[in-house]
Amino acid sequence: MASLALPSFPLDNRRVVGILFLAPALIYILLLVGFPFLLAIAFGFSDVTVGNTDLSFVGLRNFEAVWENDIFRQVFATTIRFTLISQVFILLFANILAIIFTQEFTGKWFARFIFILPWATPVSLAMIGWLWMLDTKYSPIDYLLLQTGFLGPGGHLSNDRNLFWLASPDLAQISVIFVQVWRMTPLATVILMAGLSSIPTDILDQAEVDGSRFMRTLLMIKLPLILPIMVIALLFSMITMFGDMTVVYVLTRGGPVDYTRVLGLYSFQVGIEGGNLAQGAAISLFAFPLLLAMAIFMLRAASRAEVR
Amino acid sequence: MKTLVRFLALIALLASLTVAVSAQGDYAEGTEISLLQWSHFVPRYDEWFDGYAADWGEANGVGVTVDHVNFTELFSTLSAEIDAGAGHSIVEVLFSPASFIDGLHDLRDINEAAAEMYGERAGTCAAASYLPVADTWYAYTHGYVPDPGDYDIALWTDAGYPDGPKTYDDLLEGGRAIYEATGIPVGIGMSPELDSRMANRAAIWSFGGSVQDEDENVVLNSEATIAAVEYLAQLQNEAMTDEVFGWTAASNNQGLIAGELSYILNSNSAYRSLQKIDEAAAANIGFTPALEGPAGAYASSHVWQIYVIPKYVEGDELAAAKQFILDHTTNYSEATYYSELYNFPCLASTVPELDGWLEEDPWGSSPPNKFEVLKTVNDWSVHLGFPGVTNPAISQVFAESVIPNMVAQVALGELSAEDAVAAAHERVEEIFNDWRARGLVGGGDM
Repeated sequence: MASLALPSFPLDNRRVVGILFLAPALIYILLLVGFPFLLAIAFGFSDVTVGNTDLSFVGLRNFEAVWENDIFRQVFATTIRFTLISQVFILLFANILAIIFTQEFTGKWFARFIFILPWATPVSLAMIGWLWMLDTKYSPIDYLLLQTGFLGPGGHLSNDRNLFWLASPDLAQISVIFVQVWRMTPLATVILMAGLSSIPTDILDQAEVDGSRFMRTLLMIKLPLILPIMVIALLFSMITMFGDMTVVYVLTRGGPVDYTRVLGLYSFQVGIEGGNLAQGAAISLFAFPLLLAMAIFMLRAASRAEVR
Repeated sequence: MKTLVRFLALIALLASLTVAVSAQGDYAEGTEISLLQWSHFVPRYDEWFDGYAADWGEANGVGVTVDHVNFTELFSTLSAEIDAGAGHSIVEVLFSPASFIDGLHDLRDINEAAAEMYGERAGTCAAASYLPVADTWYAYTHGYVPDPGDYDIALWTDAGYPDGPKTYDDLLEGGRAIYEATGIPVGIGMSPELDSRMANRAAIWSFGGSVQDEDENVVLNSEATIAAVEYLAQLQNEAMTDEVFGWTAASNNQGLIAGELSYILNSNSAYRSLQKIDEAAAANIGFTPALEGPAGAYASSHVWQIYVIPKYVEGDELAAAKQFILDHTTNYSEATYYSELYNFPCLASTVPELDGWLEEDPWGSSPPNKFEVLKTVNDWSVHLGFPGVTNPAISQVFAESVIPNMVAQVALGELSAEDAVAAAHERVEEIFNDWRARGLVGGGDM
């Protein structure tokens, strides 16, 4: 009896299917990440301007000029400082909120919906909202503080009627970090919630049978198990924040003085608004080695934690 | 011989102009031009302009489309369109686009034609369109916006200055007295935003300092600049609140409209806004020309209306675009009128009614001659690169907010005026050297 041989079909080939499945992601990365990145490198080693994009090679001239610029060094340090401080709070709040949102309570879905809004709202719109909230003169926060006796003559915080959220060097930095934490925490929380939900229930049941209480279960079982996921959440958050310019562009434009100026904003101001596309590209590229090293380190750490 | 050459040049110019004018309406069928410009502060202007552009297109057999965007998007859009080699035929920007020079058509022909027809253009306009080191008219500036002082008449009258401050000494003395008596501060911004950049430069120029000299050499670090910065720091400490370090471009408008600032430097925008919501309060706003300092009275124009044509525009589209620009200048009376006297003409003769409008505001000011101080505007309104030209380095210094940051550092007590000015000078030198290496800035060792 002759065997039933089905006709050969390309999708039967696992390699073909694999390539097809990966293709959308690869095309996206190549076109929207890879190409602009290579273009930025080409710009950084040339003397292009906004009016002349002919690539004349100038070696390291732009990078040397940028490094000798005191403002750039300050901006670089500010970017790192803002990113690191924000991550501490994002991680802390995301862990707390992820634990809360994986518990059962009335109105959980509504609470989750409200909570995700900062991430779902277009960042520019959200920042305009914060610009009003933190207005130097007409801030509703100041108004509340004034009405409750914290501001104004004899006030507990200040005799002025305003705190000047975006005009005081300290408060402007705190405001920017706060808004970044507000914006980024939902994403980190959702990632951690996914991690917590994936912990096998038999492990948690076993811990409960063994008499483990909440904190012990959290510290000895849950957090170690979701550590790789936590690293991924941190990586997402850090990279997004390191390259962000929208928050400071809308809120402070880098001021007062240079206190809130970050790499993305400075690159835009020099490259697009100032017309010096080559130096703008060089400024943005300074972040790359740092982010690459950070990503490799964190992914390795995540991988090791997973293996354990 | 020289006279003969000049005569022949004039004949050639007139001939080319005649060809251009006679070519009007003689474009290939299907010729289209498109314009990108800001959503004007005065909506009435956009309504007039869009209608005017459509009528012009109909009369000349050219399809015309006009796109309006927020002014902050103009440079980034122009940059993208030049890079793509496709986009709008004419782009109107509000600050000198000197750094775009390599991607723009030389508009010498229409600049010279307009000068021939309408006489000398205001200095603030020429310097925002012409780059001497490249000997190129990279733009055509059709209008500019004066930036006078706006003051609260009642407050300044009580302080003994019924006509407002005339000098920087008046501003300090009177502003301090008003602040101490009423808590209402002066409003000179010291933040990385447009109005602060203008206001701080005005003080520096009036004290005798500047970023560059006439030959495009960096001269920021001078006794005059240091004196101006010390003055501004004192003014902030004694007559202003810390809010000025965190201002946006709209903050001084909002403060004046709310009656919470005694003096600001601005276009007529804050006043016109107030006029529409509270005529009595608007009547209490007066205008002063640039304040007198130890070295004179200067203020930057608030913005400029600058047309450029990218190099990707060719053929009939280019010819039609140039003709549109020239015809728009010819109709500048309407432009000034419908902008509610916001747009001032670069070529004064195109708006012969202007002095009359300044004596009697057609948009109903009380008193009617509120804007009469602007009759002298061309004596004190200068451009960003004053006393040199506005070159690409000046534009980058402006974009990086080097000047307001320098002033704020001193006002916040972080640096002495000497140190702040020296640090800013160093950064400005770096920027100038970079553009000089591209051959787009004069001075230095050139």
